[in-house]
Amino acid sequence: MKLYLRLAWRNIWRHSRRTLIVIVAMSIGLIMMMLYDGLVAGFEQAIYGNAIRVLGGNIQVHAAGYHAQADTSPLLPLPDEAAILTAARAQPQVVSASRRIITGGLATSADGAFAVQIIGIEPDVETPVNVVLQSVKSGRSLTPDDQDVALIGKGLADAMGLQVGDRFTLAGRATHDQMRQRTMTVGGVYDIGMSDIEKQSVYLSLGEAETLYGLTGQATEVVVTLKDIGHEAAVMAPIQASLPGVEVTSWQTNFPELEATIGTKGAVMTIFGIVIMGIAGIGILNLLLMAVYERTREIGLLGALGLKPRQISLLFLLEGMMMGLAGAVVGILIGLGLMLIFRQVGFDYSAFSSLTSYTALISGRVYPTLGLEQLPARAITVLVISALAAVIPAREAAQREPAEALHFV
Amino acid sequence: MLQLIKLAFRDLGRNRRRSFFSALALGLGVALLLLMASVLEGELRDALTTTIRLESGHLQVQAANYDETKTSLKWEDLIDNPDQVASQIAGLAPVVEATPRLIASGILSMGDQTTGVRVMGIEPSATANAPFQEGMVSGSWLQADDRDGILIGQSLADKLSLTAGDSIQLLVNTSDGTVDQQVFTVRGIYSTHTPGFDDRTIFMALAKAQALTGTENHASLIFIMLQNRDQAAAVMAALQGPGYKGVTWEQANALMLEVESFAGAYMAMLYLIVLGVTASVIVNTLIMAVFERTREIGILSSLGMKSRQIMLMFFAESSLLALGGVVIGLVLGGLLVAYASTTGFYIGNMGVTGLLLGERIYGYLTLRDAGMLIAAAFLVSLLAGLYPAVIAARMEPVDALRDTQ
Repeated sequence: MKLYLRLAWRNIWRHSRRTLIVIVAMSIGLIMMMLYDGLVAGFEQAIYGNAIRVLGGNIQVHAAGYHAQADTSPLLPLPDEAAILTAARAQPQVVSASRRIITGGLATSADGAFAVQIIGIEPDVETPVNVVLQSVKSGRSLTPDDQDVALIGKGLADAMGLQVGDRFTLAGRATHDQMRQRTMTVGGVYDIGMSDIEKQSVYLSLGEAETLYGLTGQATEVVVTLKDIGHEAAVMAPIQASLPGVEVTSWQTNFPELEATIGTKGAVMTIFGIVIMGIAGIGILNLLLMAVYERTREIGLLGALGLKPRQISLLFLLEGMMMGLAGAVVGILIGLGLMLIFRQVGFDYSAFSSLTSYTALISGRVYPTLGLEQLPARAITVLVISALAAVIPAREAAQREPAEALHFV
Repeated sequence: MLQLIKLAFRDLGRNRRRSFFSALALGLGVALLLLMASVLEGELRDALTTTIRLESGHLQVQAANYDETKTSLKWEDLIDNPDQVASQIAGLAPVVEATPRLIASGILSMGDQTTGVRVMGIEPSATANAPFQEGMVSGSWLQADDRDGILIGQSLADKLSLTAGDSIQLLVNTSDGTVDQQVFTVRGIYSTHTPGFDDRTIFMALAKAQALTGTENHASLIFIMLQNRDQAAAVMAALQGPGYKGVTWEQANALMLEVESFAGAYMAMLYLIVLGVTASVIVNTLIMAVFERTREIGILSSLGMKSRQIMLMFFAESSLLALGGVVIGLVLGGLLVAYASTTGFYIGNMGVTGLLLGERIYGYLTLRDAGMLIAAAFLVSLLAGLYPAVIAARMEPVDALRDTQ
């Protein structure tokens, strides 16, 4: 086998110019796939990184049936949040677990009206882990016994023409099919740099939300913050086990449209990449057909020396795959170089932040990763395509009669 | 020249399989790019026509300090006496229809669920609302004097498990900056097959919307459809008056134009990549042809053929290859585009809220895109032929004749 590899390697460099051209074509295909993978991964990181911050924690626990209606913030009290809190806090990874009440509402002022999520939180528990509470830019954060005081984002404050101390009307969904209207004072304004997201929520103290929305002593969500991202599954299992009736989800599942979009676009891009590499594969095919023709006598000689047809075709298959492999290596090297540059520069996505519900989570530039996420799969694609391209020439070479081939001029 | 083309054609025929594969490579590239260009164009085109039909119109007239992102209902942000303003506008020649609309923010609640919506007060009889009326799935269309009926989108109805005839509570903002609520009956369910619109828009008779929000005889905007969208700027200039401002479909769709230019850059990059890879196949094929025919080139030049002519011969070969490739590409690509523009691709709801994308995207191939692509394919093939042609032209007749390879 080592001999074949050496032979194949020498053979492909007998006409270095045309081999180089094929390698360049293959590498362009691979570089494009790397660029795309890197951009998508960077995009995901930018969104998911902020998603945790906006959602307030890595894991959310809701009452059964919540997730199916998550779009409409259903007011479903948790059956036994004390048990969930105990189960969560028992896990070593858990930094904080706290109760929340989330309901839908409308915030209005003379300047405008916005449909919002009203989020009642425990400020004393959440302050160490919640970015929103840590980003109060004017006024003050919430305290546990605040009355008629709300914390709103800069995006909402600007849109509604509100400043600290101003009043606005907040109507929210309470239990028993009631709407509760209340005049609130802006206690503080936070700024997390995502104005589209900031427009979507109003924060109250949990105690106030309990009284306003008729949920005294209850909560609709328990939010759990972990030390590190990536340990969600290990913490989710014991919480789920302690209370089988509740829905335990991690932040990743909160953006189903994002996953659908990335899935679809990824599939389109994969097909696209395969067609491009297929075109480069035609290059390999043509080159090897030519080589078979050029080396007719040589093939005859190899046959006369006792090489079996199978072995001769192996030689040509190896040549095709080697060109593909060389293309992949060159592609990876150039691709890495490019990605290192793009990583420094980043891409400005801010113009598109209002395009979808999830791009609103992008706060500034998107920095691609190195694009190595799917590299093994991409490299195997290159190899398979180049091997396929070598099949016809290899078969042709194998079918040559040694005696005739030797006589070929 | 004809002689050269004949020669080139025969030369290509000497190794039919190789020529075919080279043309196929180009054809695949062209077909792929045709499909991509048509889907991108179709997507943006659909989004634009949908937005114009459903939301922005060709032109809108708003009060000077109205800000549509805020849905303020203060009287000074609204158009006073909208019927009169609308009928004045409708008198202008290029205007097909002008109809007032009132837009409020609200939340619908049903059991323990709530969802934010945009309440649109419309004149039910206006033909500009035909897209919604034609899209009725169940129930009946609104009447101008309906005092407790609303229409909701199908995707929203599914989410809240509502059917026509159900009651639902609606809370809206009012002109004094507070809120008001009432129980409404779902008169009917409409669908525009545009999730980003149906999900968050409910309709109500204009008179009722004005009564509910305390904005009597005011409207947020006058929605104007013209005979031709290119007239928007001219009509807007004719409409300028104190206290009002016009917003053309171009201004209302600024984000889309941004997406379009981004998409254009993206396509240009794809052209480069695909055609670049294709070019490499052509370069290689022709280089091989040049070296195969070294002796022949020597004979041709010793017979008196000039370098320039030899070069032209190889150019003719690459042009013929390009022609074959473009034909294959047009056939393959035509089939793909035909599929894309008749059947379309289902994308469902991708959470796109900034553009009004339908559930399906259809391809749409403009003559300009196709022409540019064909021109680019030819140009790239000719450029690819340059290098081999120069090699052939530079060969010394004597050396070339001696070549024994």
